[in-house]
Amino acid sequence: MGSSLPPKEANLFKLIAKSYETKQYKKGLKAADQILKKFPEHGETLAMKGLTLNCMDSKAEAYELVRKGLKNDLKSHVCWHVYGLLYRSDREYREAIKCYRNALRIDPENIQILRDLSLLQAQMRDLGGYVETCRTLLTLKPNHRNYWIAFAIAHHLNKEPSKAVDILIAYEGTLEEDYPPDNERYEHSEMLLYKISLLEEAGDLEKALEELNNKLVKIVDKLGAKEIQASLLLKLHRYKEAEKSYVNLLEINSENHRYHEGLKKSLGISVENGTEGVDTVTKLTDLYSDLQRKYPKSVAMKRIPLDFLEIGSFRSAVDEYMRPLLRKGVPSLFSDLKSLYSQPGKAHVLEEILLGYESSLRMNGSFPGSTEQEPPSTLLWTLFLLGQHFDRRHAFDKALQKINEAILHTPTVIDLYLMKGRIFKHAGDALAAAALADEARSMDLADRFLNSECVKRMLQADQVEQAEKTASLFTKDGDQHNNLYDMQCMWYELASGDSYYRQGLLGKALKKYLAVEKHYADMVEDQFDFHTYCIRKMTLRAYVHMLRFQDHLHSHRFFHQAAISAIRCYLRLFDSPPKSAAEEEEAAMRGMAPAEKKKLRQKQRKEAARAKKQEAEEKLKEEEAAFSSSNKGGKKGSQPPKTADTDPDGEKLLQVEDPLGEATKYLKLLQDHSSEVLETHLLAFEIYMRKKKYLLALQALKRQLKLGLESPDVHRCIIRFFNDVDNLPPPSTDSGKLVNSVIELERSCFKSIESKTLLQANESFLNMNKDSLRHRAAAAEVLFLLAPEQKSTAVEILESSVCSHSAGGGEIAEGVPSWGLKDCCLVYDIFSNTLKDLDAASRWKSRCADLFPFSTFFNGVKSSATCGSENYTYCRKMQASQPPGPLAANGHLPDFSALKIIS
Amino acid sequence: MGRAHEVPVSFDNVRDKNMMQLTKLNLVIFPVKYDGRYYSDALAAGDFSKLVYYGDICVGSIACRVERVSATTVKLYIMTFGILAPYRRLGIGAKLMGHILDVCHKNATVLEIYLHVQTNNEEALAFYRNFGFEVREKIENYYTDIEPPDCYLLVKELSRILKGRNTT
Repeated sequence: MGSSLPPKEANLFKLIAKSYETKQYKKGLKAADQILKKFPEHGETLAMKGLTLNCMDSKAEAYELVRKGLKNDLKSHVCWHVYGLLYRSDREYREAIKCYRNALRIDPENIQILRDLSLLQAQMRDLGGYVETCRTLLTLKPNHRNYWIAFAIAHHLNKEPSKAVDILIAYEGTLEEDYPPDNERYEHSEMLLYKISLLEEAGDLEKALEELNNKLVKIVDKLGAKEIQASLLLKLHRYKEAEKSYVNLLEINSENHRYHEGLKKSLGISVENGTEGVDTVTKLTDLYSDLQRKYPKSVAMKRIPLDFLEIGSFRSAVDEYMRPLLRKGVPSLFSDLKSLYSQPGKAHVLEEILLGYESSLRMNGSFPGSTEQEPPSTLLWTLFLLGQHFDRRHAFDKALQKINEAILHTPTVIDLYLMKGRIFKHAGDALAAAALADEARSMDLADRFLNSECVKRMLQADQVEQAEKTASLFTKDGDQHNNLYDMQCMWYELASGDSYYRQGLLGKALKKYLAVEKHYADMVEDQFDFHTYCIRKMTLRAYVHMLRFQDHLHSHRFFHQAAISAIRCYLRLFDSPPKSAAEEEEAAMRGMAPAEKKKLRQKQRKEAARAKKQEAEEKLKEEEAAFSSSNKGGKKGSQPPKTADTDPDGEKLLQVEDPLGEATKYLKLLQDHSSEVLETHLLAFEIYMRKKKYLLALQALKRQLKLGLESPDVHRCIIRFFNDVDNLPPPSTDSGKLVNSVIELERSCFKSIESKTLLQANESFLNMNKDSLRHRAAAAEVLFLLAPEQKSTAVEILESSVCSHSAGGGEIAEGVPSWGLKDCCLVYDIFSNTLKDLDAASRWKSRCADLFPFSTFFNGVKSSATCGSENYTYCRKMQASQPPGPLAANGHLPDFSALKIIS
Repeated sequence: MGRAHEVPVSFDNVRDKNMMQLTKLNLVIFPVKYDGRYYSDALAAGDFSKLVYYGDICVGSIACRVERVSATTVKLYIMTFGILAPYRRLGIGAKLMGHILDVCHKNATVLEIYLHVQTNNEEALAFYRNFGFEVREKIENYYTDIEPPDCYLLVKELSRILKGRNTT
């Protein structure tokens, strides 16, 4: 390094490198300038100066200098390395890899560069390259543990676990007999467990078990070893031993459901939800009555049988299960029982039991058939559970009745108000739900959960401003927007994005959705540090687990929601692009007198000048701040100075040139990570149809068909597709003809339209799904699309739909309408926006208002949208008690501050 | 017949963050609507205003006003004292009163505790007598909107040795 310089300058050059490593950037800069005074064209010095400046927040200058340095000295590995580091600091890993490779071409055995390269390859999952780099590193430094381990991991990631095992065995061969020393026992133990997991992954179960048993003494994670042992035995079909292992594990922790699963499997009892035969149930019953005797205090032993027991024995089991929990007051009891509702008949049994409890507790203060006096709170929790029960069964009237009785009984229990709010939300009154959540919040101002729940409900009721105020009660210094973003508070971003979307504020909505997307990019980024850290600390199992988690990161629900919603925004932007500022101005100017125009122009000019001045001032301030922070900084990982958000309302996001192109970016991520979700392909279809990429749309259609043969949305897409394609002008180009012939060939894949006209296909679709409102809606919409003159028939299809009422045997309670509120809103939308029949729409509205009395959308009589209803009064009251009442402020009571407590 | 499940009773101060609990209690226990003054007094009384918990549930409260008598002595006025109806006859009120008296005994500044009880509230009168409160006088037309409008003034003097200092 710096070899082309005379000794004095060479020393100075070393000083630059050292200063860079120790983060004494000013010193390094001074040294660099000293060299450059004599040798202004010295490439490596220029590059190093650039790198140093990069750390002092002069990005542009840094790139300029590094590029210039490289140009002056293309043969220097230092210059290339520096260029790579610069790219790495900007997270441009692909470019960085290229630079490192060039550097290695000049200096192939440079350990530092090889290590940097390997980290980037791991991050970018360039697995082949990663293996090679690790091989080179190990060859160069065979006595270094970390290189052995990294080499093994590289092979493992490259899907060659058996090779990874060989490497670890070879590595073990280099160790002394009495290894490990006391201070490295954990690291060694993790290595062994990692090796065992590799053997298992390579399919060599016998060997994995053998290795485990041989090394048991050296493994410090005793419980982990036992768990692995049990699962290996199970996989090897050595059931007797597996059973013993799982029984031992249950002895350690009887509440771990995985042990229960293992025990059942080793006894040959396979449990698929709801499909077990009589035989299996008997076996399970015996097993659990044994276990219950053995572990009388275990909750899991009592809870698990509820899943498999037949109605008869279920009744007594669940009865026995619930009593102590109601007595103790376990607010989460309902979520514990929730999964039972999908099993036929069980909901009904629960209802009978709970109603029995209620009447007995009211009459005698004890459970049925018992003389023991219960504490008064038992009735309260029973009512609470009943409320949730009826809510789950969609009997909102009854649910409310029970919750109100509970509130009357004990008005201080906060869960009751939360629950009541949730019932209103399910019944379609978001406003009342928000008001109740706010009341719940007011009862404990120090509870962050209550605050968050309230914020979410407010957003669902589109009270964005209030929601922001409420959220900021719990953020640092009330700087809530940045704070919530920094905290990666995604539920908030999604909920407020949804609210903006509903209100038609696409820019603000997009801003929120894209923020969520950014969090995921950050999470991918976050793994970078672990590539070195985990190998050094030998937490290999956790490391590989983390890498695999990262590979599927984008299939997470929050990302999925954000991407879907962002795509919807872009589609809407494409369908009705926003007016540009110039166009708007023109529209405003039209019809103005010339004098007025002149005035306006002058005013605008003045404003622009003022804005410019202000901007310049702000910039100056920012730079000052940046400078001072860079002076203070120097701690590792110090954050870049915060730049003010230049686009708080997402106006710039609205001006995107190619909304479909943006949408496609997110679609790709969805297709890669959420291909099993129908929605992904529905959106793909929408995008490709607008782009007129018919083959891609066809592909999306075929994927839809695989996931949702019966779905009304798929039906809509199929008919729309072939209708559009059939009405295209005949293709003029060869490729166009080719596309058409492919589509013709593929037409046979779609059974529903085979040998039928599209109209006929629609009719048979309707006939096949006569009883489903959603299907009828699709059929009506499609009919109107194909034959606009048959509008009255389409209206008729919708209006003649009959809403049946549940018989009460299943999940839904007796007498509850079978139609969902969402579907009914959708139909209303079809009436008013697609068919544009406002009379029919208002008829539909009043029909639905009867079905959903709490729905604000349909102005139900009991909803807060209807003047004079209970909810209306309640919401008004809650709003009136907003500031300056003591309830709204978070522990800030100005009136009381002057009072001193006398003691 | 027996009550096998003893539920623990605990106390907590009234603070600005849980003030709403007190409001909720008063709304159902008392026929009177209390104003901001009441709540600021209750808050200022510090250790003399308490919420009582039955398990995790807030079921009752005592709210006091501390009235200064001299530089170092005070009188305690019980503004409200009540337990939610379903939780009465479980001894919770007695525990709460016992707790407050304990606090008073530990605090040397309190000379006496007093309160008003409606004349027809036999139950309450018996309860306070049990704790050593005595009727000092009957005040006619104390209440404006409930029947009967008369009340008793109940007082409990805290016997303590005052170190050579006269009280007013």
